[in-house]
Amino acid sequence: MTTALEGRNLSRAFGGFRALDDVDIAVESGEIRGLIGPNGAGKSTLIDVLSGRAENWSGQIRLNGEDITRLKVQDRRHRGLARSFQRTNIFPAIAIGTQLTVASRALGETGLSDVVEALTLGHLLDRRADEVSYGDQRRLDLALALVGRPQVLLLDEPAAGLTVEESLKLAEILRDLVRRWGLTVLIVEHDMEVIFSICDRITVLHLGKILAEGDPGEIRRHPSVVSAYLGSQA
Amino acid sequence: MLIQVLNGIAYGGLLYLLAVGLVLIFGLREIVNFAHGALFMLGSYIGFSIAAVFNFWLGLAGSLVAMTVIGIFLDAAVLRPLRKHDHMVTVLVTFGILLVLEAFATAVWGKSFRSMSAPDLLSGTVQIAGEPFPVYRLFVIGVSLCVAAGLTAWLRFSRVGLYVRASSVDPTTTAILGVDTDRLSLIVVGLGTGLAGLSGVVAAPLMALSPTMGNYILIESFIVVVVGGLGSFSGALAAALLIGQIHNFGAIYLPWASTMLPFLLMVGVLIWRPTGFAGKRT
Amino acid sequence: MSIGESQLGGVGVRMAQQRYSWIFGLAALALVLGIAAPHLIASLLWMSLLTQAVVDMMLATSVGILVRQNGRISFGQAAFFGLGAYTFGVIAAREIASPELALLAGLVLPTVVAFLLGLVIARIPGVAHAMLTLAVGQALYEVAFKWRALANGDDGMSVRMPDTIFGIDSDVFQSPATMLVICWSLLVLMLLALSLMARSPFGQLTEVIRENDERARFIGYGTTLPRAIIYGVSAFIAATAGILQTLYDGYISPQMLHWSASGMAMIMAIVGGPRILWGPALGAFVLFFFKDIAGDATEYWPALVGGTLIAVTLFLPEGFAGLIIRLTSRAVRRIKGERP
Ligand SMILES: Nc1ncnc2c1ncn2[C@@H]1O[C@H](COP(=O)(O)OP(=O)(O)OP(=O)(O)O)[C@@H](O)[C@H]1O
Ligand SMILES: [Mg+2]
Repeated sequence: MTTALEGRNLSRAFGGFRALDDVDIAVESGEIRGLIGPNGAGKSTLIDVLSGRAENWSGQIRLNGEDITRLKVQDRRHRGLARSFQRTNIFPAIAIGTQLTVASRALGETGLSDVVEALTLGHLLDRRADEVSYGDQRRLDLALALVGRPQVLLLDEPAAGLTVEESLKLAEILRDLVRRWGLTVLIVEHDMEVIFSICDRITVLHLGKILAEGDPGEIRRHPSVVSAYLGSQA
Repeated sequence: MLIQVLNGIAYGGLLYLLAVGLVLIFGLREIVNFAHGALFMLGSYIGFSIAAVFNFWLGLAGSLVAMTVIGIFLDAAVLRPLRKHDHMVTVLVTFGILLVLEAFATAVWGKSFRSMSAPDLLSGTVQIAGEPFPVYRLFVIGVSLCVAAGLTAWLRFSRVGLYVRASSVDPTTTAILGVDTDRLSLIVVGLGTGLAGLSGVVAAPLMALSPTMGNYILIESFIVVVVGGLGSFSGALAAALLIGQIHNFGAIYLPWASTMLPFLLMVGVLIWRPTGFAGKRT
Repeated sequence: MSIGESQLGGVGVRMAQQRYSWIFGLAALALVLGIAAPHLIASLLWMSLLTQAVVDMMLATSVGILVRQNGRISFGQAAFFGLGAYTFGVIAAREIASPELALLAGLVLPTVVAFLLGLVIARIPGVAHAMLTLAVGQALYEVAFKWRALANGDDGMSVRMPDTIFGIDSDVFQSPATMLVICWSLLVLMLLALSLMARSPFGQLTEVIRENDERARFIGYGTTLPRAIIYGVSAFIAATAGILQTLYDGYISPQMLHWSASGMAMIMAIVGGPRILWGPALGAFVLFFFKDIAGDATEYWPALVGGTLIAVTLFLPEGFAGLIIRLTSRAVRRIKGERP
């Protein structure tokens, strides 16, 4: 197994508050890695740092062995690193078909129709993104990350705000796509059912530090994880 | 030399009176008010008309009151209905108000220049460092210092002032926390416009009155607001004093470039830090 | 919408072709109308007014394109109008180079300046952007105003036209009957080019960037260069308008660069509806003819403009063009016998 995405000594502070405190993370290629932790643990901050969105952070990032620490967002994307957003981040007044086409132009047509089909967006291509339902917008957000068949996918709560039914469906779609395309995934999710059902390994973040890491079984039994986060859910 | 510095402070003081009104309105409504120069002009004319019948001091007070009322009306009738619109569209609307006010002033007072003299009490000069300096300019400096002090105290120690400060840092959150931003905005836009009226009368003896008299000083006070940091009160004071000095010394030592310097400063500041020296918002 | 096209096969392509022939048809009709105009309009005064209106329409279009493709409000567009006029006017009047070269320089310089400026200011949004363009424009205005050796400073300078430009007798540019046709044709061609650009991959990209700059980067695009190109395109159109005005009036003055001219152009664009390609031109046209309606009271024209702007923002958020589109689509539906 080779390491697809590796972050070392990642730190980010807001004023005096360390949202991310010297975190090391290595995601193996082909793996689905869960990233969990209570609200404010620093999960989104970690995704932001890895994807190039954050400013004023420190550490090193490698993608397939290549140092991408200083690369811009768009250059990371062209090297196969894509992400979705916790707060829906789409192009409001543009037709959904147009946004996906524009995205695929930058990244190559590969998998565009697969994405449209898998995320059942086909009937919405002519609709403006701000005219469709929230669930549709969440799938569009995900589709924009999937276009061009990235190698490593960072997902920040893809199921946030979806109904139980919708999020189970989404988990199924994800599992299917990941298997078919051999994607590497780092997924943040509060829905433990989704996390435990699709992840190979899980990293637990707490107050900006890594609290534990292991396979789902280990994490479920890990005493400090249970007390700090899972509580009665486990 | 000292005289030149004082001249710069007097001009800077005038700019501050205008700029602080812009900052107040920007803080609450998130717009730069292009009508502010026209309100300054209107304040001048109102003061001029009252002073022609009564005296300068009544003109000063009358203009302050009248412009405050106009400001309250402006907020209630135009800015509030537009608060859900794109802010940039509202900015353009204030430009439309500027055009309407200029035409109004042309209709009432005519196009020709009018002049207004300083009251007897403030005419003449005093000796400063062995050179004569107009008393009236000392008065201008005094007024702007009083306004700066009063405003600072009000912002720091009153409840409404606290809300205004909070709102100019983050209007959305402040509204969510239950502050009635619409009422706050009435007060703030009224006060800002009143100050424009006050500065109009204060400036009147120093410049010729015309319907377009506000245009140049409007742009200079924009520069003050931007350089000081959009939404920052202390930044506006510092920037006003700086621009006042640049304006004055530029005219003496770099006459060919003096009017351009503030613009270049503004371009530089915006490119370097779009939020200005002390500001946090764009 | 090429997904739709690939999925629907030939149908999508045919629809696209229909749409293009519709655009070309409309442009051809507009050109014919423009060429016929001098024969239909008897009054020389009217033709002259119309020529002036068309120049305004061009300037409004240039600032509209900045709103439409970049999502930016500019209070300095007149600077590029004036920069084009001054570059052309000064070079031609002082015979520094041939009038053809002067014209070319008048187009190229503003375009390049705007493009380079765009690289720097593209990332700055909102109020800061409006203030920045205002400052850049006013700085240029001050140069034209103060620099007497350039073109008589604030007095302005009359530009004596060379006998011919590109082999065309320069009387052609100064007579309303011919200049109207030239200006109008150029405006139509520009709108045609802009509408083709808006439909091209590049046009789609700029709209995507306008909607959400950050996400555009996350789908793999650098956003500065496309934005800067739009600044260049927009300045090119403004400069064309400035040169046309100089050719017609034979006069340049700093007022051409003043921020109030920029603000006026912006108002025209907003009143017309900048989200629709021909909206700004329509806005300029309507407001220009308010001037005629204002009649003797021309000094109150600005008030009429301001009043219209306030009314339109309150009651017609999509502008006059939006209103027309709404009314025609309703009429079409009625003709087709559908219920509204
Ligand atoms: N822009 C910011 N300024 C100041 N503090 C911030 C900022 N963004 C995040 N934080 C703080 O950093 C910490 C980590 O935030 P982050 O968004 O990474 O948490 P998270 O684990 O994603 O939480 P959630 O599950 O709620 O999404 C939080 O305490 C948050 O308040
Ligand atoms: Mg988060």
